[in-house]
Amino acid sequence: MKKNALDVLILFLFVLLPSSLLAANLPEIVIPIPLTGQQAKFGEMMKRSYQMAAEEINAKGGIRKQKLVLSFEDSGAKPETARAIVEKLIDSKKQPIIVGEYTSSCAKAVAAVAEERKTPYLIVASADDAITRQNYKYVFRQNAVNAHYADGVIDFFKQVVKPKTIAILYESSAFGTSGADAMVKDAEKLGIKVLLKEKYESGSIDFKPILSKVKAAQPDVLFMVSYVMDASLLMKQIKELRIDVKLFAGGAAGFSIPEFPDNAKDAADYVISATLWTPQLKYPGAKEYAEKYRAKYRDYPSYHGASAYSAIYVLKDTLERAKDYTPEKIRNALKATNIKTAFGPIKFEDKEGYQNQNFNDTLVTQVQKGEFETIWPQRHASKKYVYPIPKWRERR
Amino acid sequence: MTSVQLEVLLQTIISGIFLGGLYALLAIGMTLIMGVMKIINLAHGELMMVGMYIAYALFSYFQVDPYLSVFIAAPVLFGLGVILQKFLINPVMKVESILPENQVILTVGIGMVLANLATIFFASDYRSTPVSYATKAWYLSDFWKSSPIELSISFPWSVSFLIALLITAILWFFLTKTDLGKSIRATAQDNDAALLMGINVNRMRVITFGLGSSLVGAAGCLFIPIYYLYPDIGGQFTLIAFVITILGGLGSTVGAIVGGLILGIFESLTATYVGMGWAPVGRFIIFIAALIFIPGGIVSLFRKLRFGR
Amino acid sequence: MKKLAPALIIAALAMLPLIGLNTYLLHILIITIMWSIIGMAWNLLGGFCGQVSFGHAAFFGVGAYTSGILYHKLGLSAWWGMPVSIVVVALFALVIGFICLRLRGPFFALGTLAVGVILRITAENLTGITEGNLGIMIRERTWVDKTWYFYIILTLAVLVFILIKKIIGSKLGYYFVAIREDQDAAESLGIDTTFYKTIALCLSAVITGLAGAFYTSYMGYIDPKVVFALHDISIVVIMVVMVGGVATYWGPIIGSAIMVLLAELIRSIPKLGAAHLTLFGLLLIVIIIFLPNGIIGDIPKLKRLLGFRKSL
Repeated sequence: MKKNALDVLILFLFVLLPSSLLAANLPEIVIPIPLTGQQAKFGEMMKRSYQMAAEEINAKGGIRKQKLVLSFEDSGAKPETARAIVEKLIDSKKQPIIVGEYTSSCAKAVAAVAEERKTPYLIVASADDAITRQNYKYVFRQNAVNAHYADGVIDFFKQVVKPKTIAILYESSAFGTSGADAMVKDAEKLGIKVLLKEKYESGSIDFKPILSKVKAAQPDVLFMVSYVMDASLLMKQIKELRIDVKLFAGGAAGFSIPEFPDNAKDAADYVISATLWTPQLKYPGAKEYAEKYRAKYRDYPSYHGASAYSAIYVLKDTLERAKDYTPEKIRNALKATNIKTAFGPIKFEDKEGYQNQNFNDTLVTQVQKGEFETIWPQRHASKKYVYPIPKWRERR
Repeated sequence: MTSVQLEVLLQTIISGIFLGGLYALLAIGMTLIMGVMKIINLAHGELMMVGMYIAYALFSYFQVDPYLSVFIAAPVLFGLGVILQKFLINPVMKVESILPENQVILTVGIGMVLANLATIFFASDYRSTPVSYATKAWYLSDFWKSSPIELSISFPWSVSFLIALLITAILWFFLTKTDLGKSIRATAQDNDAALLMGINVNRMRVITFGLGSSLVGAAGCLFIPIYYLYPDIGGQFTLIAFVITILGGLGSTVGAIVGGLILGIFESLTATYVGMGWAPVGRFIIFIAALIFIPGGIVSLFRKLRFGR
Repeated sequence: MKKLAPALIIAALAMLPLIGLNTYLLHILIITIMWSIIGMAWNLLGGFCGQVSFGHAAFFGVGAYTSGILYHKLGLSAWWGMPVSIVVVALFALVIGFICLRLRGPFFALGTLAVGVILRITAENLTGITEGNLGIMIRERTWVDKTWYFYIILTLAVLVFILIKKIIGSKLGYYFVAIREDQDAAESLGIDTTFYKTIALCLSAVITGLAGAFYTSYMGYIDPKVVFALHDISIVVIMVVMVGGVATYWGPIIGSAIMVLLAELIRSIPKLGAAHLTLFGLLLIVIIIFLPNGIIGDIPKLKRLLGFRKSL
């Protein structure tokens, strides 16, 4: 027994000490995410993806030969709690970089703290435009801003659909509001007339009143920004009312997660949606990640998961380039990031009034036979788009 | 009025009626509990969530149709309600405390635990039961070829609506025609008088809470084919149930139905003609108006009419 | 000794930042003190006057938005929100009181609950004034260091504590308690119940609004779903008071320590993950079953349960 203990001690002295002398010990990274409450679904998906990436990195030798240890704290999507967690991480645990959170309101609370305490913060999936428009030096965002989510859809409108009129439905949240506002601006630029712009409280049960109003307005295109299940309820009720427009389009979130075709079934067919990522993309590791996730958890992940997964690789890359593990050096390394991940190429730029913002291609998916297919831009397409779409009566 | 406007109006009213029917069933459980025990049960929506998870689990593991799972969810929820009342709520109600509202914390705690247990057992994923008839509907133009307007009636919404009415009718029969039902109503009307008449008030409370829970559990089974499910879904339904309970009158099944229908139609009309973002404001303005102007609920208006007072 | 206790506790709290407490603990303390202020406010109306409100988020939110709008629309410092909110919240409270105070018992509770929800949705829809769901963000908070925030909220808490003690010790306090015990009897004794209930509501609302205005300056970001939250504010404040002890001076303070500190501790238990809410929920259930009047309210019972002799 004693000998064993001695062995361990010697091993420790010879193997661990020198490396810790070369580089300070790799800190445990604690990630704040919502694990309870309404947003818990996304928190859970991101947690799985973070862990998946960490396991892969550790299997290949870790970061500078040290194991990356992740743990998670539940913020319950409450800004005070998210802030409490981050204050604790920066102050007591001296964690030199913050990754995580999901809702825009929590991300704003965390970003303010990170900036004050001069600790870099990498935002993974919070979309509200304002967060990276505050002249923050330490706040980085790898997902596109909400104003750009629909860029792919707009391009598709311009090239293929050429609509004259549009109706917009959106949910009452920061995400829904800014998505709808961005669409109004884009539509005006293209000369598309906005016939209707209506907000609804997320969690609504019956959309038929508002949908019959849409039916009466007869727009060319119906654009909807919805969370999770509202999207499938909308399409189910649209099918039931047989509202025929040239195209149904969704603004990411609810329209780009696997629950959408699973729940709406054939009502989801031919619906296009903006998204930031699909498993069919030819980015390195995208397909492998998606398949591995599906094998483990039954469904494909949405862009939230892919972004979380890639964030850990961004973290690895940053920590390996950083001269030491101080917030300042990590911040500089993060700023110089230029890598290709499963989520696409990532670099943080200052342009269009945003700071430290990654601009990746936004894509368009279409549900075909119950599966998401990437249809636009054409260089990323996995299948050709179906347009014009059949009328409800003609569908079998 | 053009035919398009007419179509919008009629379709709005149709959806309002269906929505109202479901709202009514949701509220009947609460109206019973509040009527008999005068407590504010903030775990009401969470009990519905439990019912929905039972329907979901039966559907995904045993392919049981959600409508059939009413027969399983209702008894299970009855048991759960009896246990909650007997071991948690009754002890707190018995104690003399400065504010009787301290049972509110109890129901909040119960709701918290139920929602969190659902997260642990079923994960926080959004669930649904994609039944084959989910988007089936009847259309006016199928029956009347040259109809100038098109109206549709959803199949699952109508089934849910009819079952809700059926359950309410059975409950009404139970409360007015059976001895047990009469005892429950007596307890609701005057606790002390019922006690003097030899009614076991404690037992009535336990039964009422069980019954209320099983009703809201059944409502959960009727909701899941047209809605969806996640652990924290309960809160919004608790609020709707409060509104209808107050609107209809505490402890009244008829009131709950009328209140549900009024609320459903009102909400649909607000959504169409004012804007869906404002619809919940309308809901709560009705609520406050009902609290102030018809404190006994709609049933009290009926009674006045009947007795010509 | 007993008389000195409050002064000693305050002195000890005031010394805390000087001994170099880290900012995380300071943040938790600030939030705890903020909640004890809201709790004391609720207790004045609910505990002493017997009007159980389920809508205190309405006052918190109005206070918070007063600050936010002053900053966002008029370019003033958000700190102006604290004095200005006194007037704004008092006006809101008068209107709400006019509508709701004619209701009694559970009906008053439900009425205030509805008011809270109505205000939230109104704030979401009036995008011209409140920016709706996008919320209001304060670009730069006044101080990075938390010491000043701590002293501000501590001072406010001490003032509120003294104010409430004075009120309850005065004639006004006797009227409040009389209304709680039996409104009709109070009325027959010639107490204008509506008038005194309105006073209790306005005082309670203004104090809550001050906490809301502080929240805006401290957190630097508000949106309707956060500051008008039904569960996270209106119901949490009821729990703060009921767990701590209804109609006691120290109850809200003990209650907020439990609701914030203990919740944070339980949340931080490693490996518990999402299950922390089950543990916390069970704790609430146990407290209310064994101590139906809250911890301070049931101190004799608590002593007995813990095995102290009566002579102690």
